[in-house]
Amino acid sequence: MSTSTEVSKWRHLPPPPGFASTVSFSKSSGKAVAAATASTASYEELKSKRAWDLAFSPAKSLPMQAFMLYMSGGGVQIFSMGIVFMLLSSPFKNLAAINTAFAPFAPASAPPKSLTTLPLQKIAYLLCNLLTLALGLWKCRSMGLLPTGTGDWLAFETRGQPPEILLV
Amino acid sequence: MRHLSLFLLCLAACTHALHSYEVGVTDWHKPLAGVPLVQSHSTAPVFHRRRYEDGQTSSVVLTATQSNVLAAIHSANGSIAWRHIFDDDDHIIGFKRDTDIVVALSGPGGANFRVFDSNSGHLLLERRLHDLAAGRLQEPESLGTSVGFGAEEKEKDIYVLTNGHTLRRLDRHTGEVRWGWTAPDQTSSVLYSKIFVTLSTVYLLGLSKSFASYTLHVTSLSPDGGVVVYSGNVPSSIKTGFSQAFVLSDVSAPDTVPRVVWFEDGKIKSLELAPELTAKPATVKGAAYKTIEDVGLSEYGQFVAIAENGSGRVIKLTPEGLKVIWEYSDSATSPTRTGSIYSGGLDVDGHPYIARVFWAHSLKTMSAHVFASHLAEGKGLVTGYTFPFKTGEHGIIRHVAVEAANPEHYRVLARLAVTTTTGAVQMWQKDQLQWTREEGLADIRVAELVELPERKIALHLDSEHETFGARVARQLLDAQDFPQYAVNFVRRFVTGSYTSVSTPVVAPTNASEPLSRDAFGFRKVIVAATPYGKIYGIDSANGDVLWSRVFGLGWAAQVGGQIIPAKLFVTRTVNDGESPQVVLVTQRKASNGLVDTVLFHVDALTGEDARRQSPSNDLLQGEDAVSGPLVEAFLLPTDAGRAVVLLDEFLQVHLYPNSDEVKAAFAAVAPSLRIPLRSGPPGQRRLTGHQVPSEVEFTGLHIAYPTWSLPFPTGEDIFAVFARPTDPVASLGKVLGNRTTLYKYLNPNLVGVVTGPPSTAPLSEKATCGVYLLDGAKGTIIYHAILPSVGGRCDVKATLVENWLVYHYYDPEVVVNQAKGYRVVSVELYEGRGVDDKRKSSDMSSLSNATTDVSVYEQAYVFPRGIRTITPTSTSYGISVKDIIVANENGQIQSFPRRFLDPRRPKHKPTTEEAEEWLIQYDPVIPDDPKRVLSHHYQVAKTQKIVTSPALLESTSLVFAHGLDLFFTRIAPSNTFDVLSESFNKPQLVVTIAGLAFAIVVVKPIVARKKLRERWYD
Repeated sequence: MSTSTEVSKWRHLPPPPGFASTVSFSKSSGKAVAAATASTASYEELKSKRAWDLAFSPAKSLPMQAFMLYMSGGGVQIFSMGIVFMLLSSPFKNLAAINTAFAPFAPASAPPKSLTTLPLQKIAYLLCNLLTLALGLWKCRSMGLLPTGTGDWLAFETRGQPPEILLV
Repeated sequence: MRHLSLFLLCLAACTHALHSYEVGVTDWHKPLAGVPLVQSHSTAPVFHRRRYEDGQTSSVVLTATQSNVLAAIHSANGSIAWRHIFDDDDHIIGFKRDTDIVVALSGPGGANFRVFDSNSGHLLLERRLHDLAAGRLQEPESLGTSVGFGAEEKEKDIYVLTNGHTLRRLDRHTGEVRWGWTAPDQTSSVLYSKIFVTLSTVYLLGLSKSFASYTLHVTSLSPDGGVVVYSGNVPSSIKTGFSQAFVLSDVSAPDTVPRVVWFEDGKIKSLELAPELTAKPATVKGAAYKTIEDVGLSEYGQFVAIAENGSGRVIKLTPEGLKVIWEYSDSATSPTRTGSIYSGGLDVDGHPYIARVFWAHSLKTMSAHVFASHLAEGKGLVTGYTFPFKTGEHGIIRHVAVEAANPEHYRVLARLAVTTTTGAVQMWQKDQLQWTREEGLADIRVAELVELPERKIALHLDSEHETFGARVARQLLDAQDFPQYAVNFVRRFVTGSYTSVSTPVVAPTNASEPLSRDAFGFRKVIVAATPYGKIYGIDSANGDVLWSRVFGLGWAAQVGGQIIPAKLFVTRTVNDGESPQVVLVTQRKASNGLVDTVLFHVDALTGEDARRQSPSNDLLQGEDAVSGPLVEAFLLPTDAGRAVVLLDEFLQVHLYPNSDEVKAAFAAVAPSLRIPLRSGPPGQRRLTGHQVPSEVEFTGLHIAYPTWSLPFPTGEDIFAVFARPTDPVASLGKVLGNRTTLYKYLNPNLVGVVTGPPSTAPLSEKATCGVYLLDGAKGTIIYHAILPSVGGRCDVKATLVENWLVYHYYDPEVVVNQAKGYRVVSVELYEGRGVDDKRKSSDMSSLSNATTDVSVYEQAYVFPRGIRTITPTSTSYGISVKDIIVANENGQIQSFPRRFLDPRRPKHKPTTEEAEEWLIQYDPVIPDDPKRVLSHHYQVAKTQKIVTSPALLESTSLVFAHGLDLFFTRIAPSNTFDVLSESFNKPQLVVTIAGLAFAIVVVKPIVARKKLRERWYD
């Protein structure tokens, strides 16, 4: 997907029928311009609000996911494994697509795909995703899937030849 | 790893039992009777014809054996008709048969009296005639005991003489003592040993010791009340004891007065037996004699006398006295033949026959001359023939029992039951061998299971040197089997008819084909050696003897001797590329008292001499490795192959093979060798550690020197020293439920010692037994337990595997809340002080202090019964759980799962973490699970040792038990997790896949068409 087509999606689309174009207002009157500026500002505010919403969305789904984990039980089965896999993989998927996810909410002044656009929201988004990841790891640990104990590394231990040979 | 072990535990949890369809397929059992005791007439093999109610008769060979068994063997097929196994401390002294019963005496002085049904072997009567402690021990044991039957036609009572001075008349059916008579003067020198019963009188024959010889003493009693009629010496002087003094009578001529016959100074003397003993001794006129022999026909009035020149004469009781009725021709001592063995027997009608058996050097065959006195109008008839006895395979004939038939007037058909020096019992009907029983296998001293090579190994050995053309030709030849292979493959794929674990390990029908293993490595060769001078190769698939070799005595052949196996080592396995070989280390005890250490090196598949010194059908000659007794022998893997290391009395190190390569390799490893040896006089036993210097002495031999010594408390003798098996250890630690690890204490120098009061010490209740685990490289005690003794005797059985020690003993103490009974203690050793404390004990130097950093977990359990031997299972990689296999007192081989013996079983309800380890709550009693009896209904008697060996399948361990009987089976302690279950439905799987494939083929074009339609019309 190329950048130009994506941008065109929200910038050069014709307004829906019955909607006046902001561009046409700007030329007609100052009041209209003021109204248009106010409208643009509220639009930007709206976008920022929506960006914050998006940033906190992983955290909002956490209770739901925790409940699902609780319901899926502690055994290593297909359900619990599916949920754990989702928990572990979705933060990485989200973070990989972080710029795209926030692009619609980028202020008009900033390049929509830049990492520095909406930094606070993105940091919050990152933290919330880490929370999801932490939940997934906690579940893994409680299921005994994290190699944290010495027992998990025992099979890789080796011993050499003893220095003495006992004959009995 | 953890999940694998969980998985294995889970499998182990499902109890595995032997299925009835596996009986006789996966296991086999060879009941044996033991090597017949041929020294005494009262125990030697004898034919007994059994009469059934319908008038039919069948013949068995009755014998008492060195394994303390009374057995009856079918003459027709050599199978055991019945056997009675006497306790180890209840020695069988002798037996006597009547028409339908067999009476046996056993124990000191004949203390125990038993009556068996001669047809079924059922024990009809059992009585203790006197206290065991009151029994007098005689040499030979049979002296002073005798059994006689009343002279009545029917319902004969049994007369039993025990302890040399007590006579009892017992009722045949109830065992009730009608009367008893004890010699009034027991301290006198008269020792009674024979009973002779007539209708009117019971005679007791005894010997009283006089100057330089014995004097015959006769006491006559009345049969009704046991009143002494007469008692007195017969003027005589007997040198050799009772072997040359007996009573002759003739059942076919009851009027003939019985006579007592004895041999005195080259003369045969006899005396008419009358109640008052008024007659004077008579002498047989004629030639001077060397000896006389009772051939078992004294009731038929015949015996054999050997003249001065060695020729044998048959002497018969007649109303006029003793008369020579026959002289065997060519029976004089001669360099062309060996001395003769004489034996008497009967036919169906009760006519006596006497067989003379000897080896003719010129003909290289055995000859038999059978004399029948009643044939040829009473003049006597001898039937002579030879029979092809294989002396190279069975040694020398030691005893012959004979039974004869007289189908036509001048035709005698003799059946000989032959006992040989190698412990074989053979039945010869005329010159036809009917059957052979290798009874020597009842006393296997050492046994090893040797792996077999794969079948293709022998196909093309010279593949390195063949030309291109030859190779193409060979490969084309090989390729001609391809279509058949392809068909087989498809059939196997479709039907799933793979070799399964419970299918029999088929032996190849082609006997000339070299031995090869089966798909799972269940088939091995059991190499076993007996003290009867023979080594056997036994097929583990069915218990048949594949090959056997008789040991040559070397220089001791001149004086005679015995070869006693000490150790058996597999020096070459199939993994080394060539056919496997074993080395047997033996002690040769020559009759002149010299003891040598002799090695026999044989190919385990064929029994061929690996040193190529002896031809394959002759005696197996060994190598005299040490001229002197052996202290210890070990197998040492070196860079130059496996070498046998022998230590002689002077601690000199002898090597076999004694090549320069091996010497150099040994010198390289010598400084790192640590050898603990038992030393010290009885009562002050100690274990002394030795090291070997890398330099040789002037003799060219290394001499081991002591480095440390561990004295045991006074009054503790070393009973056994044992080490863990050399099997691989799959896991270095035990992972707990919380994912921490207990590292196993795998010190390679760990040695177990069982101690107890010396057998020479007086029995004392205070004596204790001990179990030690110590570091065999420096003598540090790592674990020690003091166990109670049973009246001063110790019977502790212990086994060590990986870091797990299991010992079994009897606890006679009764305290509060505790009953006496058998106990088993399970001990586990882990490194350091607790979890995650790694000390790397398995490659630690013995000089490290950390060798003593051990945490011990132990738990005692109540064991259902006493055991004879204990051994752990053994698998090829050590991944499967190790079970404990015991041979219990009931003649069963039983397995006990590790889960029940785990010393970490919690005393409370297992927590989640403990449950994750599959630990079960502690229960003091180990369940006696009949489903875990490996030997199901077989009676595996007197098991001495159980040998376990890995199969190719990791899950399966082969189990071979030997003692009196041989028993072989296999066991999967964690179930057969590495083979597809037999209930797996392979056809269903194949059908499903085929159906799906078919569905895809059908549906694919339909879907494609539908998609195309959608594009056009939607």
